[in-house]
Amino acid sequence: MKTTKTIFQDGNHKWVAIVRDPEKPNYLIDTNEYLITHGGQGLLLDPGGAEIFPAVFSALSSEFDPSALAGIFASHQDPDICSSLALWLEFNPKMRCHVSWLWGSFIPHFGGSAETFVMIPDEGCDISLDGLILRAVPAHYLHSSGNFNLYDKVAKMMFSGDVGAALLPPGEDSLYVEDFDKHIRHAEGFHRRWMGSNEAKRRWCERVSQLDIDMLCPQHGAIYQGANVQRFINWFDELQVGIVSG
Amino acid sequence: MTTALTTRLSSAPQAGVDLLRIVRINEEIKSVVGVAFKINIMALNAIFLAKRAGTAARGFGVLSNELRVFSQDLRDCMGALTGLIHGCVNEVSLVLQDLRHTGLLHQAAVLSPQSKAVGVLAAREIQNEQHTRRLASLRKQLKRALEDAFQMVELGGVLAKSAKIEAAYGQSFAVPLAQVSGEFDNIVEEIRASLESLRRSAFFTGN
Repeated sequence: MKTTKTIFQDGNHKWVAIVRDPEKPNYLIDTNEYLITHGGQGLLLDPGGAEIFPAVFSALSSEFDPSALAGIFASHQDPDICSSLALWLEFNPKMRCHVSWLWGSFIPHFGGSAETFVMIPDEGCDISLDGLILRAVPAHYLHSSGNFNLYDKVAKMMFSGDVGAALLPPGEDSLYVEDFDKHIRHAEGFHRRWMGSNEAKRRWCERVSQLDIDMLCPQHGAIYQGANVQRFINWFDELQVGIVSG
Repeated sequence: MTTALTTRLSSAPQAGVDLLRIVRINEEIKSVVGVAFKINIMALNAIFLAKRAGTAARGFGVLSNELRVFSQDLRDCMGALTGLIHGCVNEVSLVLQDLRHTGLLHQAAVLSPQSKAVGVLAAREIQNEQHTRRLASLRKQLKRALEDAFQMVELGGVLAKSAKIEAAYGQSFAVPLAQVSGEFDNIVEEIRASLESLRRSAFFTGN
């Protein structure tokens, strides 16, 4: 079963990370899910694949009533992002899924109906969670061609999807990045191979540098906190991406 | 694990096997449709041959026309069977999806017995039962339609054998008429064998 860690809290405004399942089979990539709660509502960010649904569900329901989830934010279309969608909808069929317009007719293959999906335009948009305004920030081609991060200005938290992701070796599973130089080695290959455009990467770095961010929360690996956030942005800005050997 | 769920999870391989059996039935139906089309063309040629043979082959001509009608009826019948097959594929796919989702919801309910997963699982099982019942109903309809097709082919067999007898009265055309009627008979037997194997399909017998 996964564990939950509250990584931000101010009254009923919370960010909860759902992480690290020791029973997960090795053939499935490890993923982090995040729950934002505000008022009585919740928004689940990249809820994960169907195979890990039981582990995510049980961890989440220890913190929050799953039928009170107002929506799901899908950073992009991959199966490890939201192939569990149909299962979450069993708990609240009125739940909405916020996703790039580009994937609006692809993700319904995982479940849902025409009413389920809220299309995010390329330039991004605001998403309200019981009055809390969250911002869908464009991160196109990083790695998906229709890709968004989610920024919470109040909490100064940024869900960065695959940006900042690291494939950590067994035993190195701390929630936060502790030694940046050591950690970033596990992120380098991933970013070089998965991120498709230096131009898109440049724009993302410029855009995100202007935001006030305390934590950068990727979908795989550890969370960047404090000075490590800017350190990551600088490192990413310098990295040449879209490279495959052979 | 509940008894109902144990039954459903153990039926997962059964649903997969059912899908495979449906695919085989569909392939057999496609081959029957192809053969039925061949009868149509053969019957048309037989009608021309009977016309050339004149009054001696009038009976043969009538039977050839009936065989042509038979081939069209058989194709319509196979079309209806194909529609039912598509319905079965749809329901088996839903049952397979139900099984996967039910299994995952069950795991969630075991990990969080106090959560709403237990109630959602119960609701999911009611839907699963509906899909299973619809599949059972389609299975019965398909079996009935197959029996109807078999009866139709019995009639086709009688027509082909009667054509063989009529060919003997074809005087100077007796040999070519006998050859054509023999081919009719062989093809109808081929269809009968196909339908016989479909009747024995484990999809209906449940073995």
